[in-house]
Amino acid sequence: MKGLLMRGACAAVAAAAVCVSFAGIAGSAGASGIPTGGTKVSGGTVRWAEPPSTSPTYIFPFMTGSESSVSNISQFQYLMYRPLYVFGFPGNTNTTLNPTLSLASLPSYSNGNTEATIALKNYKWSNGETVTATDVLFFMNMLHAETANWFDYVPGLFPDNVKSVVVNSPSSITFTFNKAYEPTWMTYNEFSQITPFPTAWDVTATGAASGSGGCSGGAYAAASTDAACAKVWTFLQAQASDLTSYATNPIWGVVDGPYTIAASKGGSFQSTGQVTMVPNPSYSGPQKASVTVIQEPYTTDNAEFDALLGNNLDIGYAPQQDITKPTTNASIAGPNNPRLTNFYLSPWILYSFNYAVLKFESTGDGGNAGAIYKQLYVRQAMQSVVDQTAMIQKFLAGYGVPTYGPVPVLPKNDLVDSYEKSNPYPYNPAHAESLLKSHGWKVVPNGVDTCQKAGTGPSDCGAGIPQGAQLNFTMVYVSGTQWQQQVMNVEQSAWNAIGIKTQLVGNTFPTVISAYGPPCTTGQPCTVEEGWWGGGWEYSPDYYPSGETLFSTGAGSNAGNYSSAKADSLIAATDTTEASLDSYENYIAQQVPEIWEPNADYELSEVRNTLRGVAPQNPFANLFPEYWYYVKG
Amino acid sequence: MIGFLVRRLIQAVLVVLGVIAFMFILIHLIPGGEARAVLGPKAQPIAIAQFNKVNGLDLPLWDQFAHYVWNLSRFDLGRSYTLNQSVTSLIAEALPKTLILVGLATLLALVIAIPMGIYQVVRRNKWDDYVLTGVAFILYAVPAFLLGTLLILWFAIYIPIFSTEAPQSDSIWGILSDPKALVLPVVTLAAISIASFSRYMRSSMMETMTEDFVRTARAKGAGPQRVLYVHALRNAIIPIITLLGLSLGTIVSGAVITESVFNYPGMGLLAINSAFKEDLPTLLGVTFVVTIATIVGNLIADILYAVVDPRIRYAKS
Repeated sequence: MKGLLMRGACAAVAAAAVCVSFAGIAGSAGASGIPTGGTKVSGGTVRWAEPPSTSPTYIFPFMTGSESSVSNISQFQYLMYRPLYVFGFPGNTNTTLNPTLSLASLPSYSNGNTEATIALKNYKWSNGETVTATDVLFFMNMLHAETANWFDYVPGLFPDNVKSVVVNSPSSITFTFNKAYEPTWMTYNEFSQITPFPTAWDVTATGAASGSGGCSGGAYAAASTDAACAKVWTFLQAQASDLTSYATNPIWGVVDGPYTIAASKGGSFQSTGQVTMVPNPSYSGPQKASVTVIQEPYTTDNAEFDALLGNNLDIGYAPQQDITKPTTNASIAGPNNPRLTNFYLSPWILYSFNYAVLKFESTGDGGNAGAIYKQLYVRQAMQSVVDQTAMIQKFLAGYGVPTYGPVPVLPKNDLVDSYEKSNPYPYNPAHAESLLKSHGWKVVPNGVDTCQKAGTGPSDCGAGIPQGAQLNFTMVYVSGTQWQQQVMNVEQSAWNAIGIKTQLVGNTFPTVISAYGPPCTTGQPCTVEEGWWGGGWEYSPDYYPSGETLFSTGAGSNAGNYSSAKADSLIAATDTTEASLDSYENYIAQQVPEIWEPNADYELSEVRNTLRGVAPQNPFANLFPEYWYYVKG
Repeated sequence: MIGFLVRRLIQAVLVVLGVIAFMFILIHLIPGGEARAVLGPKAQPIAIAQFNKVNGLDLPLWDQFAHYVWNLSRFDLGRSYTLNQSVTSLIAEALPKTLILVGLATLLALVIAIPMGIYQVVRRNKWDDYVLTGVAFILYAVPAFLLGTLLILWFAIYIPIFSTEAPQSDSIWGILSDPKALVLPVVTLAAISIASFSRYMRSSMMETMTEDFVRTARAKGAGPQRVLYVHALRNAIIPIITLLGLSLGTIVSGAVITESVFNYPGMGLLAINSAFKEDLPTLLGVTFVVTIATIVGNLIADILYAVVDPRIRYAKS
């Protein structure tokens, strides 16, 4: 009878296939296809699949770029060492600060936004000590001493923009800045980097007394404090270099998060990537964990998929090639692979965007590439033949998000403006062609366009482009990922169709990012033209998409050397005043400083039907397993 | 023999140095910089400078090479750029796994292929010879990833007798104590080797059986079994020894496809992942170990020739 009712209900809705997929799920499926309800079962173990060949390798939450991965930070360290401010929510795609899970209340800004005071909540370390303002100062002192070893350091920003840090009381700390900053920007981009350290870590030798290192209690920015912190960093870094001791080293056993890997509590860490995280019984946050999480390493997504089929996982992922039916909404799962009857599909979208770099200082294309890329109409023409929506549907089965500007259009967020969301450059080859023609180019479809009218007038090719210059470029991309290869092929064909002759060269990720990631250096030859490393940019732990590191003139991650006085002033305004982010965002969207590319979902997660609290998943790739639980199946 | 060994050891050292120098230069010719490759798009110039300093990449190339060789002489293979472990410990983790997997597969292949090759000679041009030849060709033609995936589907998912994965334990004992999980990857790897070994064995045996000494043995009244196993086999097995000697390098370098399919992180995956991530210390370390294994494999093969065939002597002449 239950089966009949289920079938009847399914027949009543258009998405019958979805209903069939969820037949047999304990409880019921919600509007998004995520099962809800059921009788809660306490405890249990969740076997969670790590991404292919990507395992946690670094435990100390103060790391260089080589250790700053999602698998180290969001999916490992955060479970044990909570940042001062947590962003995103469990079972929710919200992209804002999470006041409930954060270790402190929202900062209180004063003196014209040149000061901020942070009040800590009453969180506890697992050794019984309270998470205090001194623990925050410990991090700040370490950051001041070791900027070169902090992956998120950008010269001029945190901590260079902090003049003083003063502990007012065990639960209050005040920061003074070098000038006024916009509070949201400061909270989302700078305070977001802080992870309080326990004083048990302020040591320079195993077994030394807590705080004996002199880093946690020293005056901020004092030379003596920096020297002490450097020694403490050296010690902690050495401890973190011994993976085999992670579960047994008492240093790493002091946690304030919901989980621990301490062997004494039943946890474990294998250097091959298998990690057993057990609930921290003394976690003082709002939700104590009940399930044990075993992170399982996989060599490839095929090996992982076999494990899913063999029922050896509770949360895994479906490789793109194993998606059998598309979705019409990147956020909502379409029908699941029929072989995975014990799982439901949950698309995982990150707060990120994707782009291919145009080198504005390139001396390629007969010396003209840079001058050509500097022309807005050329970039607009190139973007106007990139049909992101069609490519996402065709090559990603709908599980991708188009990029229209620097603020992600999905997951849903309040910061993306309607102009950007509307796609300023919809697919329109005729418009692209007319842009080129109206600026003095002879358009030769499937040939090579040539500049017929050199000059800087409104109907000329533009500054620095001589008569006879050609639109003839080389795009280097990361080969080996099918959908990216397909995207490149389609774009090549589309650009060729309007006479922007494009040669494709596939290469490895390291090679592409090495060649195209760094901005060109003034005075040095820069022959590279266009590059796409496929990964784009994720806003974490700089959660406010204000772009100072990406699009400011001379910024370290401004790979294309894009330079615009207007963009610079708009970016500066987002950092220091309450000016809306919209002006900056819309200007960059309109300027197309890079080619906006489709952004694939981070993961197409497969979650066991009887597991609750997992989906929708956090847009910063954070895990919140303290909210996971099983229901009777 | 001792003189021969000494000469070969000197040669081996020179070959190792040559290979390392060649690889070192080749790897450093890759355009761009390791720092950006490892640190990613967000890396600022200060972070890149720090990375280069910590890893000695700010030194001239010859100086980097001299440091590398000096460290190598102390068995220090450096530290992985991406895995937060010394290369020695990474190899120490991966090598035993690979040796078990590929070693067992090679052993299984020999146990099946040598009798199979001999049987085919005895039954040459009969129906069973044709059938076994056909099977060998099919096994040789099937790619490892396809065979592995099919075996998983049939024997781990549809009929769940074995595991979808190879053993996941870190220890040798842990791996060996999970034989059910070893069956499919070992069979996958062995299948391909069986095909090639049996073909070599068959052709070598056929050739040997036409030699004068075999005819002489028969003329002296030796029975078919004695001719086959006492007179012919020792000579016919020399090509297999050559193959085995050469395959020691392959055994150590791992079976990347099989390791991938069966989620078994051995030397093959270590090498290929380090190449994709431009983790140069790991890549060089794996190359070093594989070079040593290849040289040792050849040396063992040379010694075994003399053991199997007393006519072969390694005199100064």
